[in-house]
Amino acid sequence: MSATASELSRMMPASSAYCCREGLFDEMIELAKSPPERCGSIAHGLLSMPSARLAELWSRADLMFRRRGATFNVYGEQGGVERILPFDPIPRIIDAETWTQLEAGLIQRVRALNAFIGDVYGEGAIMKDGVVPRDLVLSCPQFRREAAGIRPPLGNFITVGGIDLVRGPDGRFFVLEDNVRTPSGVSYVLENRVVMTRLMPDLMRAAAVRSIEHYPADLLQCLIEMAPRQNARPTIALLTPGPFNSAFFEHVFLSQQLGIDMVEGQDLLCMDHKLYMKTVHGLRQIDVLYRRIDDDFLDPLVFRPDSMLGVAGLTSVLRAGNVALANGIGTGVADDKAIYAYTPAMIRYYLGETPILPIVETYLMRDPAARDEVLNHIDRYVIKPTGESGGYGVVIGPHASEKELEGTRARVLHDPANYIAQPVLSLSVHPTIIFDAAGTPSLEPRHIDLRPFVLLGAKPRVLPGGLSRVALRRGSLVVNSSQGGGSKDTWVLGA
Amino acid sequence: MTMRLRICHTTRFTYDEPAYQSHNQIRMRPLESADQSCVEFALEITPAGETLEFQDYYGNHVAAVSIHDPHDSLTIMARSLVERVSEPAPSTDAMSFEQFLRDDRQRILSQYDFLSASPYAPFSDRMRKFFWIARPRTDEDVAGYVQRVVAFVRDQFYYRPGVTKVHSTVDEILTTGAGVCQDFAHLTIAILRLAGVPARYVSGYLAPRRHPSGKTPVGSQASHAWLEAQLPYQGWIGFDPTNGCRADFRHIRVAVGRDYSDVPPLRGVYRSFGRLQTMSVDLKLESEAGENPAGDGLSQRQEQQ
Amino acid sequence: MLRRVANNLFWAARNLERAEWRARLVDVNYHLLIETSPRDSAPWEPLLAIFGEIEPFAARYSIADERSVLNFFTLDPENPNSIRNCINVARENLRALRHHVSSEFWLDVNTLYLTAQSWTPAVFDSPGVYAFFSELNDWFYRIRGIRHSTLSRDLAYDFMRIGIMLERAEDVSRMLDVKYHFLMPRLEDVGSAADMMQWAAVLRSASALEAYRMRFGNSIRLENVVDILLFDSAFPRSARYSIDAMAESLRRIASKGDAPRPIPQGVEELQKELIIENAPKAIAGGLHEFILHIQESCDAIFAQIYDEYLKTE
Repeated sequence: MSATASELSRMMPASSAYCCREGLFDEMIELAKSPPERCGSIAHGLLSMPSARLAELWSRADLMFRRRGATFNVYGEQGGVERILPFDPIPRIIDAETWTQLEAGLIQRVRALNAFIGDVYGEGAIMKDGVVPRDLVLSCPQFRREAAGIRPPLGNFITVGGIDLVRGPDGRFFVLEDNVRTPSGVSYVLENRVVMTRLMPDLMRAAAVRSIEHYPADLLQCLIEMAPRQNARPTIALLTPGPFNSAFFEHVFLSQQLGIDMVEGQDLLCMDHKLYMKTVHGLRQIDVLYRRIDDDFLDPLVFRPDSMLGVAGLTSVLRAGNVALANGIGTGVADDKAIYAYTPAMIRYYLGETPILPIVETYLMRDPAARDEVLNHIDRYVIKPTGESGGYGVVIGPHASEKELEGTRARVLHDPANYIAQPVLSLSVHPTIIFDAAGTPSLEPRHIDLRPFVLLGAKPRVLPGGLSRVALRRGSLVVNSSQGGGSKDTWVLGA
Repeated sequence: MTMRLRICHTTRFTYDEPAYQSHNQIRMRPLESADQSCVEFALEITPAGETLEFQDYYGNHVAAVSIHDPHDSLTIMARSLVERVSEPAPSTDAMSFEQFLRDDRQRILSQYDFLSASPYAPFSDRMRKFFWIARPRTDEDVAGYVQRVVAFVRDQFYYRPGVTKVHSTVDEILTTGAGVCQDFAHLTIAILRLAGVPARYVSGYLAPRRHPSGKTPVGSQASHAWLEAQLPYQGWIGFDPTNGCRADFRHIRVAVGRDYSDVPPLRGVYRSFGRLQTMSVDLKLESEAGENPAGDGLSQRQEQQ
Repeated sequence: MLRRVANNLFWAARNLERAEWRARLVDVNYHLLIETSPRDSAPWEPLLAIFGEIEPFAARYSIADERSVLNFFTLDPENPNSIRNCINVARENLRALRHHVSSEFWLDVNTLYLTAQSWTPAVFDSPGVYAFFSELNDWFYRIRGIRHSTLSRDLAYDFMRIGIMLERAEDVSRMLDVKYHFLMPRLEDVGSAADMMQWAAVLRSASALEAYRMRFGNSIRLENVVDILLFDSAFPRSARYSIDAMAESLRRIASKGDAPRPIPQGVEELQKELIIENAPKAIAGGLHEFILHIQESCDAIFAQIYDEYLKTE
């Protein structure tokens, strides 16, 4: 899109009306119904922006990201600016009361997941009490027997969690998926905010949008609190798989924001059951490792022996209590899609509380009755393999062809334990700038989700807002970045 | 009947170019149970390294040892003194498979690991076909079936080193018809699991029979592998398919798990500019003077005849 | 700073310096050949000899003509030290460490890299050899300027500087050595116009011609050439200057550790030697031997730097 704002303003017609979609919860239209002194007027203002203003916002944002491109992203071959996750300048707004509820629900959820992880690698009480089937846990590929008996500092297996939320037709938030291994995306949240602050400074000030710039400091604080040796300045490092990983930009960004060293496997050494990094001035012991590589690659002594991304002996260092990992080994047992069905039970079991955030109804295909029901009406359900991430392998019944459904039916029958089914949820939509064939921009509703980031340190904290992802293709429900999604700045309004 | 057995298990690695940054996990400390106690244990590693001791997921004793500096060879010597009492007489209570499988929901949950496929004992098509040949009858007694399977494996396959490799799965022995104790154990375990009987792999030592002359031969053997099956009324009972018999007090248990992948006596990674690692193993098993190490009264009589 | 990072920065900078030297040498000698009538059948030999590449060249090229030599030095992917390969290596080393250097520095190196990918032998036709090297020279000047003005004098800067200065000391001394060896047999030409042109080319290869004239006037004499290229503490491309700069960076690096550490052995001795020796003494004692000594000292110093700071295994 290379037209300048002024060219665009000559091209466009009178401002077009924004149409809501039948049966869907349109977040902005709903907000516009609020009293003006709350978010009503903000929403109105955003919805009635003329095409010229949309074009201007879009190209200013584009330019800003290009300029910042020198400092962010671009580990691709050409070295030019390639922003992996396109940005939409229309902010996603959440009012203060809604956020208060969400925040409480998120903290509750992550605390329960953390307790679950500690339990399954320890006593296994929840399985003994028959609340979660033991075979479901043990058959989970992410259940790491190698981690049994390891107690992390503060009891925190999870330090950073990304909990994906969606809204249904009545506007209620549901948890779609948990991510407690190496959740990513917070760098986009922070970069988007920097750009938005320059794009709409007055509106942001008027809305009293809650600040998020303290996130790096909060994350650093949580990591410090995990240090086994509580001396003045524990050494913290971020373990990256290296520049060929698609999230490398975020690794660099976070290590810079946190002021910590970024290391690769080859920079590390385990000696005398301590973890060190190889610096020019000698070996320096690491107290906390913020690792952004999967368990499989972490320690060639106990996991994949061919891995060059981790360091041999790390599990022993962990067991000896000489290093803390954020996040710990084996947390994937808690974000397994089949275990997900039991998360409300976990909240009740460990916290004795009623779950604040509901999950989407989930049917395990290993259960014969559920399987029959789902396969007989397969076009009404979303079928997900429990093992995949990134939205891959997901089949959305109503959108799939007869052939795809046949294939899915066969796959489920062949390996039922590996599949779950959920009813299709009509996700909420949000006005997003879409250019027509002539290059004229207008607002169109697009499906949207939210990934808030929850930190567990000595006490839990939630980043206000999170990463809002939109599916840029009309009607598409898949918002994940690796498959054609975009992102928006998320505003949590001050009380 | 008690036996005290002294075990000295020495493994030596030599390298064509010095090895360094060597990280190892050692599972050589005999387990404690009702009929086996480890009275003494010492692990000597040359060159010495920082050692961390813990118990793994299956309760096995593990020593995690790291040797940082370059070394041309690595010697690991595990010495233990084990006291073994004889197994109680097997129960004669019978339970048919029909009854056994009727109550299996709870068993599937609590013994999941020992009823599922594992890396060395996958439920491949070939394995399933073989199981079909060896499947139990619904009215068959579970304990009797297990004994039948153990004898069947012993009779159908040859004990022959060199045919299979350390990382062979059950498919290999099914193809070649021959293997070593590790393969016999994996195969038997797979059959039992497919039948619904929980089975776990045991790694340990087999004490030698006492020579009729009265002297105990000091043998040079390797670790031995067998299995334990969870039988109704009896709990975990050991069986040795390589020798086609129940495990008795000559079987010294060192580690248990799903299969070999959970219990290798030694697992390690190291760095070196060279490529060759040679390994030699020396195993000495001696009964302590004054105790009778060999069999029960019956077999002694047989030997004297 | 991680050793891997220091190692990558060292090699990135060293390769850029290497590329720059080669570019200048090829440029100057190309024009020298155009301007003089070749006296022997192997006019390119001295240039190949400077880089020790007579055999590698002969192994793959049957004729040593202008085209093949230019290609070999500049574009040849099989020549590990071709200008383009040096640029590639420098960029690859920097790519994963962009956050250790300024964004302007990275951008320039990366843009040079992208440009280099588009070079074909046709660049020597149009815009022509002169234009090509002139533009390339500008690139290197700009990159140096950006490095100089946008990087804090931190560890990253110092490790890069060590790479640059080691390369420079070796390149200048090797060039002088080879040229001296090739030019000296023509004793009968001492003072002749041809001889002057040859030595002027040597100076120009080190961008030293004007500095020479400012110090010594118009007459080019061997002793003075040796002086400015080996012993001059003020001229930035002299061996002495390079060794002094490297020593300064090494001292700064050593001082930043938790405990004071000595700088590698041999650095101070070499510095002293370059102060005590002078051009007449070096020539009288055998220039080749003296230069060889400088190079061996540099090799020994590098081996220690590598062990001390850069090695990760």
